Amino acid sequence: MQPALSIAELVKRYPTGVEALRGVTLQIEAGEFFGLLGPNGAGKSTLIHCSTGLARPTSGSIEVFGHDAIDDYEQARLAVGLAPQELNIDWFLTVEETLDYHGGYFGMPRAERRERSRELLDAFSLTPKRDDRTRTLSGGMKRRLVLARALMHRPRLLILDEPTAGVDVELRLELWHYVQRINSEGTTILLTTHYLEEAEQLCDRIAFINEGRIVAQGSSDELSSEYGVTSLEDAYLGLVGRKELSRAHVGSDAP
Amino acid sequence: MTSSQIRFVSLVRREVNRFLKIKRQTVGAPLLETFLYISVFGAALGSRIDKLHGIDYVVFVIPGLILMAWATNAFSNNSSSILQQKFQRAIDDQLSSPASPLQLLLAFSLGGFLRGMLVAVLTFVVASVLVDLPVDHVLVLVPALLLVGFFFAQLGVLIGVRAEQFDDVSVAQTFVLQPLIFLGGVFYSASLLPEPFQTLTHFNPVYYMINLVRYGFLGYTEANVALSLTLLTLATGALFALNRHLFVTGWKLRV
Repeated sequence: MQPALSIAELVKRYPTGVEALRGVTLQIEAGEFFGLLGPNGAGKSTLIHCSTGLARPTSGSIEVFGHDAIDDYEQARLAVGLAPQELNIDWFLTVEETLDYHGGYFGMPRAERRERSRELLDAFSLTPKRDDRTRTLSGGMKRRLVLARALMHRPRLLILDEPTAGVDVELRLELWHYVQRINSEGTTILLTTHYLEEAEQLCDRIAFINEGRIVAQGSSDELSSEYGVTSLEDAYLGLVGRKELSRAHVGSDAP
Repeated sequence: MTSSQIRFVSLVRREVNRFLKIKRQTVGAPLLETFLYISVFGAALGSRIDKLHGIDYVVFVIPGLILMAWATNAFSNNSSSILQQKFQRAIDDQLSSPASPLQLLLAFSLGGFLRGMLVAVLTFVVASVLVDLPVDHVLVLVPALLLVGFFFAQLGVLIGVRAEQFDDVSVAQTFVLQPLIFLGGVFYSASLLPEPFQTLTHFNPVYYMINLVRYGFLGYTEANVALSLTLLTLATGALFALNRHLFVTGWKLRV
């Protein structure tokens, strides 16, 4: 089976000269639940932007289910659903229109769009808000809408860029249940998050990215043993060079 | 419809939906503005101004007003729509879709083009009720107006893509577009100007556009019709080619 995402020697240098990605090589298998962890500015969002056509790589290659993300962008993008970190919703549209237009951009016929948007409005508890303008929604509702929009065209690879940042416990758990279910049904998921317990609970494999490079990858246990620690959190603190913040140290230093 | 057609129609629908949702601002206000021009130059001033080249002053002015309505609305719609979507990052939904650069460019262009056409047609209808407005050369008038609309739609897209703040759009509109239109001869005949202003007017591209449209309506022109039509076609084609190149490379859209 083709990998869901295959990235080789990816370099992204912005016009300002900042090199956000410095030769990233990464493979995510079809059906995997994959976590990408790293500090702010490590290159997570740039990697996602390059994979979805929002940024143009300087060099290297990206394939989505075997389709080159640049030369065969149409097929590559059809396979990807992106829920970005920013709540980038069109203020002029209603909730239902947001889903309908997105489905249209991905070539879904009207009847299919109508059925799918009803299904997602229901799944994300947005049905009572369907005719509301998006700018009137609360932050949590906007987050739900961004997630529903990413799923509208039934992507085979769902990219969630910090989907639970700033959301309440209820929505976080709802989201976890939903993505676990669609992952078990075959959707590949790439998750970036700062919540390590979230990555630990959800992801089959995790990669650490730092300063534009993948520095380690494996299961949560494999990463812990690679860093000679007992938890993913301590492995992460090892990555960012802040071992002194380890809860184990805090506990032992306590009077 | 094929997936690609659904995609394109959805992109255009989004742009049309946007300006129709704020139609008091996007259609009502320009219509009122044009009506005020006709009132001031027709009823108030027109009766005190001699005929120009054997044509009643208000009738002489109306073709330019129709052109101005199409041009300014096509420009301002597209520049504002693109900049607003860039600001909200809502444009990422279209940019990460499988739509081709050409589809995106045409859809963004058509939003303003159709808004300009709507205001221009309504202006024509209102003007026809108020004064006896002839249409002497429909085969020149229709292609000339379509080209003018498409030219300014392309210019609006270019400025919207280039803009990084709202000031960038208003500067282009206030300090470049409005002077070119006003000094191109909407409200007067360039042959009445003293030198060197008469010669300078010949360097203003809007002068040729106004002459074409005036010829189409009234049969009067100060510029060579075939040459003007050729130059307008070439300028529109060149601007479209530039925009197409920018959309393919992702300039200022895909970082």
